[in-house]
Amino acid sequence: MAQKGRFFSGLFTAAVFISLEIAAVSALKSSSVLQDIWINRFSHNVMAFSWGSINNVRGYFGLREQNEILAGRNYELFKELQHYKELEKESQAMAKLDSAGLPSRFNYIPAEITAMGTNSRHNYIILNKGSEHGVKPLSAIITPNGVVGMIYSVDRRYSYGLSLLNDKISVSVRIGREGIVAPMNWDGGDFDRAILKNIPLHLEVPEGDTVLTSGLSAVYPADIPVGVTTGSRLVDGAVNIVDVKLFVDFSALRYVIIAENPDRAAIEEMSE
Amino acid sequence: MSKYRFIVFSLIFIVVQIFICNYFPFSRYVLISILPALLLMLPLEYGSNVSMLIAFAAGFAVDFFSTGMLGITSASLVPAALLRQPLISFVFGDEISSRAERIIPGRIGLPKMSLAMLLLCAVFFLCYVWMDAADTSGFWSGALRFALSVAASAPLCVLVAGILRPE
Repeated sequence: MAQKGRFFSGLFTAAVFISLEIAAVSALKSSSVLQDIWINRFSHNVMAFSWGSINNVRGYFGLREQNEILAGRNYELFKELQHYKELEKESQAMAKLDSAGLPSRFNYIPAEITAMGTNSRHNYIILNKGSEHGVKPLSAIITPNGVVGMIYSVDRRYSYGLSLLNDKISVSVRIGREGIVAPMNWDGGDFDRAILKNIPLHLEVPEGDTVLTSGLSAVYPADIPVGVTTGSRLVDGAVNIVDVKLFVDFSALRYVIIAENPDRAAIEEMSE
Repeated sequence: MSKYRFIVFSLIFIVVQIFICNYFPFSRYVLISILPALLLMLPLEYGSNVSMLIAFAAGFAVDFFSTGMLGITSASLVPAALLRQPLISFVFGDEISSRAERIIPGRIGLPKMSLAMLLLCAVFFLCYVWMDAADTSGFWSGALRFALSVAASAPLCVLVAGILRPE
């Protein structure tokens, strides 16, 4: 209680002091030009300082709001940037496609790899294009550097495919432009290695020959370079196996092309 | 009786101060003021508020009747009046304030009286010199004016205090 009384007494004293000082300074201000200028300048300085301090404090507490606005603008810019990036990627992919000289009876759709498994013998690949982009099952997944895999199933916006690094996938290839045709499989070893099976013993396969897609299947376009031969070895004393070094670097793969053969159903029907 | 004596002598000293201001301008660097003595010798039962009001009135009267600027003495004396109570406690001890005794220079002794007067004059002239200069003179010029004014006024204030409250 006494403390409260002392507080109010101090407050009253301060009020009396300030009132008397204001009265005295006002009298001084009106009685002398020099003091008038000085007091004006002093009061302006005090006002400027207090305004500056208030603005600083206001600015500090306004930072949160500013941050939210900036975050919103940042998000909008990011979306816009992504949009332009995607447009650029598509145009680049289309340009690559044109320069690759792929057979024109296929429909080509550029796509980006969303996910890809590389840890098992049955590796998969998920692409960011689906049925609404025109992707159909059993389409080829290729790059200008070779075969990547095959579309297995299609969602509205995504498609799921089997990678070449899957021992269930077999691609029909030719050694050289007019050489022997053989199925190519991944042997479950290195990502950049595949094998050609059932090569007759009498056929000599030199090292360094280019391996291309044969075009005999309705899935893969013909004459896409796949890799080079690196040697052959005898299996069971009856056939040779040819080792192929693949051109596609699966560890750095990001953009692919989906190649869909519009005549595939008709060709398969005739085959049956 | 002593109360009336104090009032009469205080009024006389205010008139003396007006005369000093009007007719005895010693130097540009030396200001003479005996008002801090009147302030210090006010009865201790007067709190800070009453002291400040008396200081304001005395300062205003001196300014009004002298050739000085109206308000400058009041504006300088009021801060001195605000600090009077803490200064008395600091120099003379808390006991004198709590018992609300009269300050009698003869009992208190010259050293303590001089110290109290020096500090009160310092507060008064600090404000006075600062406001009078109004940023037109340099720091050292102001400091010299302040030091000389305190040195000249403090002994005079001790003398006035002895006249106001004789033992």
